[in-house]
Amino acid sequence: MKLTNAFSLVGDYAEPYAWFPESASTFSETNDWLYNWITYTCVVFFVPIMCALFYFAVKYRKPKGAKAESNVSHNTVLELTWSIVPSFFLVGMFVMGARAYLDMRDAPEGANEVNVQAFKWGWTIDYGSGVFHPELHLLLDEPVKLSMRSTDVIHSLYIPAFRAKKDIVPGRYNFMWFKPTVASEKVSDEELAAATKQTKERGESWSYDDHQFTPDGYRFFDLYCAEYCGTNHSEMQTVVVVHETLEDLNAWIKKYSARPTGVDPATYGATLYNNRGCAGCHSLDGSKRVGPSFQGLYGRPEEMVTGESIKADENYIRESILYPKEKVVAGYQPVMPSYKGQLSDDDIYSIVEYLKTLSTTGAATK
Amino acid sequence: MSAGSIPKGSVVRDPGYPTASENYLTNSKGVLSWIFTLDHKRIGVMYLVGVTCAFAFAGLLALLIRLHLFQPDGMIFKGAEANNYYNQLFTLHGAVMVFLFIIPSIPAALGNFLVPVMLGAKDVAFPRLNLCSFYLWCAGAMFFIGALFSTGLDTGWTFYTPYSTTTDTSVIAATMGAFILGFSSIFTGLNFIVTINTMRPPGMTWFRMPLFLWATYSTSIIQVLATPVLGITLLLLIAERTMHIGIFDPEFNGDPVTYQHFFWFYSHPAVYIMILPAFGVISDLISVHSHKRIFGYRFIAYSSIAIALLGFLVWGHHMFTAGMSPMTTIIFSALTFTVSVPSAIKVFNWIATMYKGSISLTTPMCFAIAFIFLFTIGGLTGLHLGTLATDMHLHDTYFVVAHFHYVMVGGTLIAFLGGVFHWWPKMFGKLYSEFGGRLSAAIIFVGFNLTFLPQFVLGSRGMPRRYATYDPEFAYLHQMSTIGALLLGVGLLVALVVLLTSLVKGKKAPANPWGGATLEWHCTSPPPFYNFEHAPVVGDPYDFSNVEWDGANERYVSTEPERKIAPSEIPDAVPAHAKDGH
Ligand code: HEM
Ligand SMILES: [Cu+2]
Repeated sequence: MKLTNAFSLVGDYAEPYAWFPESASTFSETNDWLYNWITYTCVVFFVPIMCALFYFAVKYRKPKGAKAESNVSHNTVLELTWSIVPSFFLVGMFVMGARAYLDMRDAPEGANEVNVQAFKWGWTIDYGSGVFHPELHLLLDEPVKLSMRSTDVIHSLYIPAFRAKKDIVPGRYNFMWFKPTVASEKVSDEELAAATKQTKERGESWSYDDHQFTPDGYRFFDLYCAEYCGTNHSEMQTVVVVHETLEDLNAWIKKYSARPTGVDPATYGATLYNNRGCAGCHSLDGSKRVGPSFQGLYGRPEEMVTGESIKADENYIRESILYPKEKVVAGYQPVMPSYKGQLSDDDIYSIVEYLKTLSTTGAATK
Repeated sequence: MSAGSIPKGSVVRDPGYPTASENYLTNSKGVLSWIFTLDHKRIGVMYLVGVTCAFAFAGLLALLIRLHLFQPDGMIFKGAEANNYYNQLFTLHGAVMVFLFIIPSIPAALGNFLVPVMLGAKDVAFPRLNLCSFYLWCAGAMFFIGALFSTGLDTGWTFYTPYSTTTDTSVIAATMGAFILGFSSIFTGLNFIVTINTMRPPGMTWFRMPLFLWATYSTSIIQVLATPVLGITLLLLIAERTMHIGIFDPEFNGDPVTYQHFFWFYSHPAVYIMILPAFGVISDLISVHSHKRIFGYRFIAYSSIAIALLGFLVWGHHMFTAGMSPMTTIIFSALTFTVSVPSAIKVFNWIATMYKGSISLTTPMCFAIAFIFLFTIGGLTGLHLGTLATDMHLHDTYFVVAHFHYVMVGGTLIAFLGGVFHWWPKMFGKLYSEFGGRLSAAIIFVGFNLTFLPQFVLGSRGMPRRYATYDPEFAYLHQMSTIGALLLGVGLLVALVVLLTSLVKGKKAPANPWGGATLEWHCTSPPPFYNFEHAPVVGDPYDFSNVEWDGANERYVSTEPERKIAPSEIPDAVPAHAKDGH
C-alpha cells in the first residue's frame, strides 16, 4: 500500500471526528479560520487561569483556623491589566467577525438568483420555466443568491458545509448568497441502478441517508432547517448538489422540466409525490402521519372536520391540492401549504392518476 | 487537624445552639403554621422545596430527551406521534427549567432566607407580598403542569410566532403560567429592593453589604424593569392567538420578528437574572472558604450593577440570522462584547482571592471551583457566538445548546448547589457528610462535562438543535452526551441523598461551621424567629482576622479583645486620698 493511501485511510477514519463538516464554499475558509483563532485565544486564556485555580486550591490548602498569608483587598495595576489586555482581543474578534459578516451579506453583482420556498416541512426550489424541485442545484464557482420566502412559519436555511444560514420569515423576503467551491461527484451507473432498483422494489421513497447520493446519482451536501418549525422540523432536510459545468446543471434541470414524452402520468405522479414534498406528510403504507395516508385514498369517503362525508374523487383531490384549508379531514390540522400556481394542470392530473394506482377502487375504474 | 487557637486575653462571641422554642423551624407547629407563615425563612424553605421539585421534574424530562437521542432515529418514542412527543418534551423541559427553576432558584429560595439575615433585619419589607409571591409561583406551576396534561405544548420555551399563534397545543395555558410567574418574580424583586434600601440596621452601609446582597439587589432591578415587558408580550401573544389583531402574524399584516425583539428584550436580561445571583453566591463562597478578604470588593459590586444595565442592550444577539439590517446587527454584536469584560474580571477576582488564602476544600468550595471552571468555558464560547461570521454557522445548532447549558447549568445550577451546601447547616441546623458532598460535586463535574462538551463539536459540525432525529454521522457524539447525562443524574441524586440524610442523622451545626464573617454566621443555626437575639454588631463582612477555630468544640467563633470591664460596684464616693486624710 502506498503511503498516500495510508494517509487517506487515516483521513477517512478521522473524518467523522473532525471539528467541522467539509468545507465547500468561499465562506468556510474565513469562518473556520476565525473559529479556530477564537478557540486558540480562549485556550491561551483558559489554560493559565485554570492552572492557577487548581494550583492555588492545592497550594494554599491550610488546616482549619490557619490565617491567610495575605489580605490584600485590591491592586489597581493588576486589575487594569486584566481588564484592558483581553479587551484588545475582544475588539479584534468583533472587527474581524463583522467584516466577514458584511461579506456574507452583500451578494456580488450578477449573482444567479434562485427562488426558494420553505414550508412545513420541506423545500421547493424554483428553477424557472415551471421547474420546481426540492433539491438545491448550483454551479461550481458561481455566486448564487437565494431569495427566500415561507408560506407558514419561520424556517431557517442552513448548509453546514457552506457555513451559511439565514432565517426565512413569513411575510417578507430574506436573502443569502454563497459561492460553492467543491463539486459533487457522480456515482457509477451500476451503483445508481442498484439503488434505484432497491428503492422501487421496496416501494419506498428515496432514502438519501442510506444511499448518500441523490436519485440522479450525485453526492451532496446537507441542507437543514435550523429554526424550529413544528412536528417534522427534524425531517425538513434536503440536499445541495454542486455541478461542475453549466451543461450538466442544465441537463439536470431539463430532466425535470415537464412530464417527459413517453412517461405515463401515474409514473410521473409518483415522481411529483417525492419531489414536491407530499412524501413528508402523506405515507403510502396506510400509516397516519401529519396528513392522511394515500393508500386506498382515491374513491374512499372521507369524514371532514365539519362532520360531512366527502368521497375522495378527482375534484376533491384537485381542490385539496390547490385550496388545502377548504375541506379538512377530521383528525388532522389544516397545515398543508397550497400548491396553487406551482403545479400545472398536467401535474395535478398526473398526481390523481398516481393516487388511483394506490387504491383498489382506483385500479378498478381504470 | 487544627491550627487556630483562641488567643489569650480575648473573649469569645458565640451564640451557641438555639432552643426549640426560639428556632424558626420549631417555634410553631402544624401545617397551617407553614401555609400562612409570614416568616421569610419559612417562605425561603418552601421555595427551596418547590424549585427542587421543579428541577427534578424537568431533569427527568432532560434524561428522556437524551435517551431518545441515543439513536439517530430516536430510541424512546416510535411511530407517527414520535416527533410530537419529542417536541413537547424539550419544550416542557426548557420552560420548566427556565421559568420554574433557574429564575427563582437563587433569588427566591436562598435569597428569601438570606437577604434579611445577612442584612441584619428581622424580615423583608413586605412579608405578606412575599408569601403571595410564593403562591403565585405555585399557581404558575399549575398552569405549566396543566398544559402538559391537556394537549401538551410544542412551541419551545421561546413561544416564537407565528408558530405559537397557529399550533393547537396549550399555548394559552402556558403563557398564562409564565405571565403569573412574572408577577411572582416582580414581587420578590420589589421586596428585596425596598428591604435593602430601607431596612439596613445602623452600621450596615452599602459597602459593608456582603456581595450576595449586591447581586440580589442588581437582580431585583432587572426583575422589576424587564419582567413587565414579558408580561405584555405574552398578553399580546394571547390576543394575537384569539383575536388575530395582527401584531406578530404576517397573515394579518404583523411581523414575527417584532415578537422576537419583545421576547428577547425580557429574556436576555433574564439570563442575568439567572447568573448574577450566582456571582454573588460564588463571591461569598470563595471568600469564606479561603478565609480571605474578597479581592476587588468594590469592583465586583459595581460590575454587578454594570452587567444588569448593559444586559438590557444586547438582546439582538439572539437574532443575528433573522434578517435585521446590517447596522443593527453589527451594533448588537459590539454591545455583546462589552458585557464579557465585567464577567471576565470577576473570574480573575475570584482566583486572586484564593491566592495566599487559607483554603478549606469543603463541599461548597468544591462547587465554587467547579463553577469557575464551567462558567469560564460557558463565557468563552459566548465569544464564538458574539462574533458575527461564526455565529452564522453556529446559531441554532448544538453549539448554542452547549453554550447556554455551560452558563446556566454549569454556572447557576452549580452555584445554587454550592450555596445550598454552604447555608444548609444554617438553614436546618444540621451538618452533612463532607465526603458525600464532595463526591457528589466530583460526579456532577465529570458528568456535566461529558454531557455538554461533545455538544460543542456537534454544533460546529452542523447539527441543528431541536431535532428529534438526526443524521447517523452525529451518533457517537450524541451517545457520549447521553452517557454523561446519566452520570450527571447520579451525581445530583447523591447530592440529594447526602442533604436529606443529614436532616435525620446529621450532627448539630454550630453557629459558624465555616468561619464566615457575614452576619448570618452570628446567629444560631437554625436562626431564631426574629433572626437575632440582640441587635447584631455590623462589621466588615470580609474581615476574617477575629474568626478563630475552636478545636475543642469544633466550631469557628468570633473573638474580640478582652476589654477592661468597669467594676460592677460603684467605688466609694469619697476619693481614696481624701479617706487617707481622715
Ligand atoms: C440533567 C441536565 C440536563 C440535560 C441532560 C439537558 C439536556 C437538554 C437537551 C437535550 C435539550 C434539547 C436541545 C434541543 O433539542 O435543541 C435541552 C434544552 C434546554 N435545556 Fe436542558 N438539560 C439539562 C439541564 C438543564 C437545566 C438545569 C436547565 C436550566 C436552565 C436547562 C435548560 C434548557 C433550555 C432552556 C433548553 C432549550 C429548550 C428549547 O430549545 O426550547 N437544561 N436540554
Ligand atoms: Cu422548518
